[in-house]
Amino acid sequence: MRVDPSYSSNLVTALDQSQSNEQQLTAELSSGVSITSLSQNPVASGENVLLLNQIQQDDSFTQSSSLVTSQLQVADSTLGSVVSQLTQAVSLATSANNGTMNSSDVQSVGNQISGILDEVQSLANTSYQGQYIFAGGQTSTLPFTTSTATLPATTTYNGDNDVNYLETPDGQKIQLNVPGSQIFSASGTNSVFAALNNLVADYSGGTVNPSQAVSDTQALGTALNYVSQQRVVVDNSITQLTAASDAVTSQQTQLTTAQTNLMQADVATVSTQLSLSETQQTALEDVISQLDSQSNSLFSKLQ
Amino acid sequence: MGTISSAFDLISGALNADQSALSIVANNVANANTPGYTEETPNWQENDPVQINGVQYGDGVTETGATSLRDTVLSARLDQQQQMASASSARLTALDSVQALFTPDSGSSSSTAGDIGNDLTGFFSSFTSLEAEPTNASLREEVLTSASTLAGDISNAAASLNTQRSALDEEASGVTSQVNALTSSIAQLNQQIQSTSPNADAGTLEDQRQEDLSQLSQLIGINQVKTENNGLSVTTTSGQLLVSENSSFQLTSGSVSGVTHFFVGTADITSQLTSGGGELGGYLTARDQDIPSALSSLDQLAYGISASVNQLNNTGTDMDGNTGTAANLLYIFNEPTQVAGSALAMSVTMTDPNQIAAAGAGLGTGDNSNAVAMAKLASESLMQPIATTAFSVSQNLNASSPSATSSLEVYDTLGNSYNAAVTYTNQGGSTWDYSISVPDVLTANTSVSGSVSYRFGTGETVNQGTNLTITGNLAGGGTGTITAPTVTSGEAVGTAGPPSTGYVAALDAQIAAAGITGVSVSNTGGVLTISGATGTAGSVIADPAASANATGTLTFNASGALVSPAANVAGITFSGLSDGASALNLDWNLYSTGSAGNITETAAASLQSGASQTGTAGVTNGPTPTGFFSNFVSTLGATVSGVQAENTAQNASVTQLQTQNNALSEVNLNDEASAMSTLERSYQAASQVFTMLNTIMESALNLGTETTVS
Repeated sequence: MRVDPSYSSNLVTALDQSQSNEQQLTAELSSGVSITSLSQNPVASGENVLLLNQIQQDDSFTQSSSLVTSQLQVADSTLGSVVSQLTQAVSLATSANNGTMNSSDVQSVGNQISGILDEVQSLANTSYQGQYIFAGGQTSTLPFTTSTATLPATTTYNGDNDVNYLETPDGQKIQLNVPGSQIFSASGTNSVFAALNNLVADYSGGTVNPSQAVSDTQALGTALNYVSQQRVVVDNSITQLTAASDAVTSQQTQLTTAQTNLMQADVATVSTQLSLSETQQTALEDVISQLDSQSNSLFSKLQ
Repeated sequence: MGTISSAFDLISGALNADQSALSIVANNVANANTPGYTEETPNWQENDPVQINGVQYGDGVTETGATSLRDTVLSARLDQQQQMASASSARLTALDSVQALFTPDSGSSSSTAGDIGNDLTGFFSSFTSLEAEPTNASLREEVLTSASTLAGDISNAAASLNTQRSALDEEASGVTSQVNALTSSIAQLNQQIQSTSPNADAGTLEDQRQEDLSQLSQLIGINQVKTENNGLSVTTTSGQLLVSENSSFQLTSGSVSGVTHFFVGTADITSQLTSGGGELGGYLTARDQDIPSALSSLDQLAYGISASVNQLNNTGTDMDGNTGTAANLLYIFNEPTQVAGSALAMSVTMTDPNQIAAAGAGLGTGDNSNAVAMAKLASESLMQPIATTAFSVSQNLNASSPSATSSLEVYDTLGNSYNAAVTYTNQGGSTWDYSISVPDVLTANTSVSGSVSYRFGTGETVNQGTNLTITGNLAGGGTGTITAPTVTSGEAVGTAGPPSTGYVAALDAQIAAAGITGVSVSNTGGVLTISGATGTAGSVIADPAASANATGTLTFNASGALVSPAANVAGITFSGLSDGASALNLDWNLYSTGSAGNITETAAASLQSGASQTGTAGVTNGPTPTGFFSNFVSTLGATVSGVQAENTAQNASVTQLQTQNNALSEVNLNDEASAMSTLERSYQAASQVFTMLNTIMESALNLGTETTVS
């Protein structure tokens, strides 16, 4: 049987292939990535897009979550101060209502409660990074303003009842704010500002109408409890955010591991393949050089 | 009785023959590296014997020339395989460039330039950040930055694909002159071969012709047909004549709709060349199928994102408290009017980050509900123009051109696209009939005797989007119905079994799984016929074909204004288009809202303009933007990988055939050395015989005495 006389060109083709294989493996080792083009593993390439998307979404949620946690913590500590101010106001009012104070003491209590009112209003108008945190969606509008044209004075809420939510990657909605109307000027006996304004009016003349003052003090106590309840909503949000953020971080770790396994080169395997490929290349080179060193045909033997 | 002088003749003939043979060997060695040269062997012929006094004497040998060691069947097979390998190589090179645009992100850095997958996530995540602080200026700026990155990368990818497509177009048109040079050369060689060697191998001329055929096979797909007197006809694989004996037909190229088409005479053979093979086939497949398919996916992605983000942002409240209006559109991206071209045109038109509507409609600027909704678009279906399709087509009607047609792209609920055509025909004066047609991708031919035939697109490849259902008798009585299986991209129609292949096999399997008996599927030239059991008319039922054209009449008054119909044409419905899709609804708005505005009179009194309008876009149950992109890269990767495997196999096959052909036809120096050695000995022997004869002759002339003659 005749053979293909140009068999050495096939050897060169094999050598080219082996070199290209080595180039690929070296690229994998140097970059640490096993898939450098879509066609190497189409399914993994597609999966990689989805995994990276999920990882980045998780990452983005963690960042957002830390931003809003700070804001919620400001809201929480503000409400803490409100509660202590109101507690002080209740205690002042109670002492003024026991009938033992003279006129100037009663007026002094009235002035102190008026001071507390100003302080609570200032707390209710707290802003975080330039945005009012108890204004609902109207974060650029001063939420509470007081008009002293009437007696008792009236405090008006200028925000709205809008509540913002942050959605976790799993779709859980976490409340981000409590509108000021819900905390400070809720209807019925829960309005902080109505109760404070009434007490200031009660004590402004130096004489106390006991039944009115006691009733207004009770209203302030009820409003205080209500503020504490609203604070719980804020605290719950902080807890939920922390939990969600932890869960997302843990999920992110798992996803990153999965993505790493999917895309990163297994150094041991690649090294072995590279070594095999090098051996093959050396062998091919030897064969080719052997063939070259010998004369290729019988002509060399002819005398 | 032989004489010494006849022995002289015999041996001098042998010396001549050896010399001729040696010159053939020398020629072989000289051409050892000539491409296309076929090894030649000397032909030895024993001379006719002579009869003298009833005794037969041999009359020596003659060398009658050389024969090329050629296997034409093997050469033709090699050429054929070379055509396929060249096609897949050219296609693979093009696809490698395409996939380089979408290199997988390793994830080692948070953002890789040019990674659309990351851009998508980054863009939607910027809304997640904005949820936390909807009024934060830097977060708003971040939304626009990430939008620009996304739009820039999608647009760049589309531009690169277009550039690659143009480059392929140029390379393809460059092939024409090479093909023509080769076909002319083959025609010329045919003439020479027919005149010099009509009945036998033409040696060198035939080598040249074979070499031309090999080169032609690298370029395009061809068939070779031997004709009389050693002539040869060459056609494209689909039968278009390129060379007929001594005449060749030039391949010409010309631009059709901006791309190069190929012609022989007036026949456009572009699609034949595409599927034919050779480099040109590979270029054209990449140019007309692979790249348009990638572009179309990017277009869908760009359209879906732009349309849905714009729509949502326009309905929210921005930082200045505004909601989008016709006069003040709050669009982040430039609004696409149609899917085609959306990717290339994608850009961010919004410059003021305050115009990002993070708040819901009617809510304060501190609200984040719209930002939440926009972030959620990442996990919602990609918007596509569907069902009620937005279309904008305008056509000048002029009685001097009594017929005019506009075409537009419309979509069904599954996102399949159709080319709808609106044809206007003048009925005299200012009256025009219109006819709107939406052709089904499959043209059905329902048969009366329990069978149905479908033409599946062009050639043997199944078009996507069949609307076929089949009802047949169940083994245990009653009837069962199946929906034809989904068609995968590029799926072959296949053949009837057993075992059946391609789409026929998929249909067979589904029919068998449903327990339907007596139904058979066959394929004749791409027309698939599904037949019911003999004599059971109606046992096979197909979905109806797409509904008939919507028709009507437009009448204009003397000043060119439309008077009839008096109102917009609403509720034009096309059904039966593709599997599972709802009917396609079109509203043809001939009049602008509030006035008969958009039919306008132009310069000539008889010139009237046709009309159009916008519709709405809807949402399909398709994949999310990231899911869509993921699917796109997987599909692209699988295509490239498939072509790679195909190319490797074809190259291996070419190598194998080449080895076989080389073994037969290439100059083997060992053989030549051996032949030369043999001929040398033979020549030496003949020389010796000649010397001996000379001595004998000398002896004969001197009668045994060493005297005068020596």
